[in-house]
Amino acid sequence: MNASSRYNRQIILPEIGETGQYKLLKSKVLIIGAGGLGAAILPYLAAAGVGEIGIVDDDVIEVSNLQRQVIYKSSSVGKYKVEEAKAMISELNPDVKVNAIAEKLSGNNAIALFEKYDIIVDATDNLQIKYLINDACLITNKPMVYGSIFRFQGQVSVFNYENGPTYRCLYPDENSFSANCTDAGVIGISVGIIGMLQANEVIKMILETGEVLSGKILVYNILNNEQQKYDFEKNNSFVMDRNTFEEKYSQKENLVEDISAEAVLDQIDNQEALFLDVRNEDELPKITFKNSIQIPLMNLENEIEKLDSKQAIYVFCQSGIRSKMAVELLLRNQFQNVKSISGGALAMKELLTKEIKI
Amino acid sequence: MIEVKYFGAVAEKTQCTFENVVSSNISLKDLLQDLEEKYRFESLTFSVAVNQKIVSKTTDYNLKTSDIVALLPPFAGG
Repeated sequence: MNASSRYNRQIILPEIGETGQYKLLKSKVLIIGAGGLGAAILPYLAAAGVGEIGIVDDDVIEVSNLQRQVIYKSSSVGKYKVEEAKAMISELNPDVKVNAIAEKLSGNNAIALFEKYDIIVDATDNLQIKYLINDACLITNKPMVYGSIFRFQGQVSVFNYENGPTYRCLYPDENSFSANCTDAGVIGISVGIIGMLQANEVIKMILETGEVLSGKILVYNILNNEQQKYDFEKNNSFVMDRNTFEEKYSQKENLVEDISAEAVLDQIDNQEALFLDVRNEDELPKITFKNSIQIPLMNLENEIEKLDSKQAIYVFCQSGIRSKMAVELLLRNQFQNVKSISGGALAMKELLTKEIKI
Repeated sequence: MIEVKYFGAVAEKTQCTFENVVSSNISLKDLLQDLEEKYRFESLTFSVAVNQKIVSKTTDYNLKTSDIVALLPPFAGG
């Protein structure tokens, strides 16, 4: 197929032209996360002719993903997201080289991966990994295109662009918490809009046209269509070098021990063990056992004396992210036997429902 | 009059997206303390902007009449 006929409608834009199209072809973009944001960003970058796109995600497609992750088909449930995304893109635009990376982003693989690309896109769904992406972008000197959602609101910004402000300049407190889509709920349109704005920032940086959202955060509310930009400045007090990075991320990842929902349900009648629900009181489904208590994550530090540091404690939240943070907090406070239940209340509920059916 | 805007999980706590605070010549620190007492944000974290600019040091900032303050928590969904 003739390249200029495929891209004709954008090549005739004065801001793009043949030169711009060549820049797109030569560019390499890494998208972290093939969920709702990734599913919006990916097809638009590929269709526009971005030459090489990497996608990092170790998740498989679940039926509950399909209302917002619109590049996947019902028949693909159970398959790796990155593999399905790659197949979809090769049909859409065979010019694009797609690297499907079915791994979890971590301190061990981030830097080597980032070095191979020009632009890093954050399409993830938890706060801790945003700090990891930010720090790895600082080390490798790459811009980070940030997008995230809370229910009907979204945020977009570009960090570390030509040495500009970073995620840490905007949100210095690494221990903060915000619910993700699994916990808070989301509609596909919000992730679609925010993902599209991220794709737009990527294209502008490649084409060197327009104004990049550097040092500004755009906040969008789809319920009333209000959008605002807030300026923020670079804070030079935070320094990240390779040693600090390795120290920070290589040990943290092995710390938290997971237990599967299946294994932990055998402990329901074990009076020696305690189930700790760190969700807020209004979250559903309610899960209560004789040996369970609820302390929302935000109160855990203040109410830590309610717990016995020698007891076996199984911590759960809705999906398994906050419980990990709770376990980290308990380990820092010298608790000896705490585990995070992977998949959280949703996974336990599913098993409990099955058992009742049997 | 000072307008305060709320976003994300902060707006869920306050049950509104904005409100007007009748007081002038208040420091940002005092305003944030009043809001904390009223809404109990507890461990919810947020950045604070005045007139569309994030303020890095909230302890040392005096507000003027008609300033617009915004509380911006980080979002995590994707």
